[in-house]
Amino acid sequence: MKNDMSDDRYDVNQGDGLDFGPDADVVPQDDPAFDAWIRTMAPTLNAPNAAPRVEMWAAIQAARRTAVAPPRRKPWLLMSAIAAALLLGVAIDRVALRGTSAPPAPVAALPAPPSEPSDASRLYRMAATQTLTQAEALLTAFRASEAPRQSRVEMRQLGTWGRQVLGSTRLLIDSPAGDDPQLRALLDDLELVLVQIIQLSGAELDPTDRELIEGALERSDLLPRIRTAVPAGGPGADAVSGD
Amino acid sequence: METDSSLTLERDYHLADQRALIERARRGDASAHRALYDAHVEQVYRLSYRLTGAEHLARDVTQNVFVRAFASLNGFRGESAFGTWLHSIAVSLSLNEIRRRKREWARNTPLDDASALAEAAPSSDPLLREKVMEAVNELPPGCRAVFLMHDAEGYTHQEIAKTLGINVGTSKAQLSRARGKLRVALAMVAEEWGR
Repeated sequence: MKNDMSDDRYDVNQGDGLDFGPDADVVPQDDPAFDAWIRTMAPTLNAPNAAPRVEMWAAIQAARRTAVAPPRRKPWLLMSAIAAALLLGVAIDRVALRGTSAPPAPVAALPAPPSEPSDASRLYRMAATQTLTQAEALLTAFRASEAPRQSRVEMRQLGTWGRQVLGSTRLLIDSPAGDDPQLRALLDDLELVLVQIIQLSGAELDPTDRELIEGALERSDLLPRIRTAVPAGGPGADAVSGD
Repeated sequence: METDSSLTLERDYHLADQRALIERARRGDASAHRALYDAHVEQVYRLSYRLTGAEHLARDVTQNVFVRAFASLNGFRGESAFGTWLHSIAVSLSLNEIRRRKREWARNTPLDDASALAEAAPSSDPLLREKVMEAVNELPPGCRAVFLMHDAEGYTHQEIAKTLGINVGTSKAQLSRARGKLRVALAMVAEEWGR
């Protein structure tokens, strides 16, 4: 491996989206003694073990079977989608609660994604509440349906529904909302159960598989945790009360 | 001993083989997916591990890399080697993880703990390594990626440049910066490199 430091090292540009720090164009003098030492030290830093090939391949296969495209991490797009969906939901709630005299202005005047951090975190909180409300309904429907009589059509419908909730769950995990350790743990557990439900929806229904999901629900205490996390009155309450 | 022409032939054969595998994978051939995974997983995992510093994160990143790559094989235009494309995704996902962890760390670690870590004396190799790793973790993400890819994983500047989408000169400059910053951060252990 060649490691020469010719003059082209001063040909500095910024990579697309890469953060090289505030003084990216300041190149210090080399110190051969230190450079030699750090080059012997570096291979011992974060030295990886052998890759767990089999486990990772199984997880990749499971993720691909759900046929859910991985979310694109574009925060502004996510913010726009969340803002539009939530404000539309709030507007509909208002019309439904206060009668037809409510002005349609909130829908027509949808603002651009807010740049204030407080607005952003409020939006993410509302999005989380909405997703968890959906998840609660889905899991309740799953538990309420009687296993022996559950038809393939029902399971397919649950699967379609599960995919939608899984998509929002993964977007939330990747968003700043996922930085809250408690919410992150809840979303991670929810993701696992949703993946299992979706996998079941495409196959012949096996009571053992159903028991596995029931067991996962019990062990993670998922439904009670979701109910605790969702404020009374659902997502609309949170959104309207802040106004 | 291998000659230049036999090496070129071998490389051409390898590239043609990869292209054929990718084509089969695009058509949904599961064995082609598996073959591509087997050919690249070790390198992707090593890179992710170096950058994230934790086994579970490296595992998550590696899985995500392949899920994303297989889902968007149609978008892979073959302008770069398949491996380089995978490594680009791995670096990008790893840097996202690092950013996320830094935000969490900044919120969750009390200042007292942070200063205690900084004052720990490097009295043995593991402690020294920890000290160096802390200094590496303080590097700006792009700079850190260049340093670990070059000095820890042995990538050439050409490979780093292709993977990160930067000039070769930028890669060299960022390596110099990384070493310079580390030299300053590790001044308290200067006797280790003969000062």
